Amino acid sequence: MAREFVSARREPEVPSNTFSWFFKEAFRRLWVSKRTSFVAIAMIAMSLLILGSFLLVAENLGRAVEQWQGTSRVVVYLDPAATAEQIRAVDQYLASHRELARRRFITREQAMARFKKWFANLNDVVGQLDENPFPPSFEIDVSPTAARARPFRELMASLSATPGVDQVQYDWEWIERLRRLVNIINIAGLIAGGLLAAAAAFTIANVIRLTMMLYREEIEIMRLVGATERIIRGPFLVEGFLQGTIGGLAAIGLLYGVFLGTRRFMSPSILWSFLFTGFLPWQKLAALVAGGMLAGFLGSWMSVRQRIDIA
Amino acid sequence: MIHFYHVTKRFDRYSTALHDVTFAIEKGEFVFLSGASGAGKSTLLKLILRQLTPTEGQVVVNGRNLNAMKPSQLPFFRREIGMVFQDFKLIERMTVFENLSFILTVLNVPPKEHKKRAYQALRSVDLHHKLNAYPLQLSGGEQQRVAIARALINDPLVLVADEPTGNLDPDLSRDIVHIFTEANLRGSTVLLATHDREIIRNSGRRVITLDHGRIADEKASRVERPVVREGVFGIGG
Repeated sequence: MAREFVSARREPEVPSNTFSWFFKEAFRRLWVSKRTSFVAIAMIAMSLLILGSFLLVAENLGRAVEQWQGTSRVVVYLDPAATAEQIRAVDQYLASHRELARRRFITREQAMARFKKWFANLNDVVGQLDENPFPPSFEIDVSPTAARARPFRELMASLSATPGVDQVQYDWEWIERLRRLVNIINIAGLIAGGLLAAAAAFTIANVIRLTMMLYREEIEIMRLVGATERIIRGPFLVEGFLQGTIGGLAAIGLLYGVFLGTRRFMSPSILWSFLFTGFLPWQKLAALVAGGMLAGFLGSWMSVRQRIDIA
Repeated sequence: MIHFYHVTKRFDRYSTALHDVTFAIEKGEFVFLSGASGAGKSTLLKLILRQLTPTEGQVVVNGRNLNAMKPSQLPFFRREIGMVFQDFKLIERMTVFENLSFILTVLNVPPKEHKKRAYQALRSVDLHHKLNAYPLQLSGGEQQRVAIARALINDPLVLVADEPTGNLDPDLSRDIVHIFTEANLRGSTVLLATHDREIIRNSGRRVITLDHGRIADEKASRVERPVVREGVFGIGG
């Protein structure tokens, strides 16, 4: 006797052996509709290339900021007319604060000598001056952590107001600005890349929708022979996912090409070359590919969630 | 196995395909569905596969009321019905083997068994030598037989065929009816829609005749009910 009707509840939604079929089908469909797939992949790649470019600039700028911050100093310029007592008072003030304790006193003569050493070609100009224009100063090494703390700013304000102190100069103001710039670049990159990735996802959605329309008859046959919606939609989801993955990998390849080319082109310029000292770390590269996968998957999901009603 | 209770199918106000159709086909029966073109045969078969739902009345197949069936249960129900379509409905870009293999994939049959199963199914319709051919490389009769092999591959409880002998020469038509008879002997309930009176006359089977969407005539079988045997191709059980 023929077998009895098996309860639907006991049947698996997607048979275990269909996952390999999903991938096989998805690769085949990618190949069959090469042109439309190329458009979708190119859209993803361009979006991620733009996002990656922003990330690359921000990454290198961030590295430069970290580097500069690590070697920066606070310089306390003293009034040229400051008395020895006032200088001693400033020294004691610095000594009383642990974060300012690593200090060196630079006399006017030492400052002049250093200038002459660093800018030898300007020695003639300096020699024509009637008097030494360099004020005495304290150079203080401060750890980046201490410098970022809020009390440090108050300390600098209090130091500026100390008698005998002309000016307190520290690099963190512009480093902070640079840090903010890095954040802005990152955010701008994420917004621009995100918008473009969304556009790419919509492109993929349309490509998948188009593919589904091309496969209308097949989908009808599949439904009639008992394929579940998951079995029917699986290859389309995988197709979008693959388009996103290929787009992500292509973006990384293109970004690396752009990076090498730009570095070569910019290398004579000290001002700009620091922006291209290193490539993105693997975590960010992985995030870019993951972004492509996500955009591809979401794009195809947008298409397949709407059922094509045929049978 | 197949029960229609006062089934009416209306497509719109002016087009009614079936009027108050009531009949029952019992397990293991082989029944011909006859009628002129436009009599409602295809609509009736579509109701059995639940491609359509009745406007009025109830359709029950293997104890399942199709009106009440949830969409999520539909694929599992259809896997138990072997359907042979008038236009074959083979996937053209797939080879004969791939067409059959797809069904086996849906049925969660391990891939290593696909070749053997497909070969056995094609052997039963004498097309085992066309395993790697594409549907468009086959004649109409061969495509029909592939479609039959696909319908038989899962050893279905119910085998439904819509004009499987249409456009075929008499010899080939007889061969195809023979394949259905074999399937019936193996235990499948068969409903075969045809307007080929010669085939019906020679078979001596029960006939349900439709005329303008109504049952015009019903003739009982002249042959003994078949002895129902265990599964086909080793799939059943």
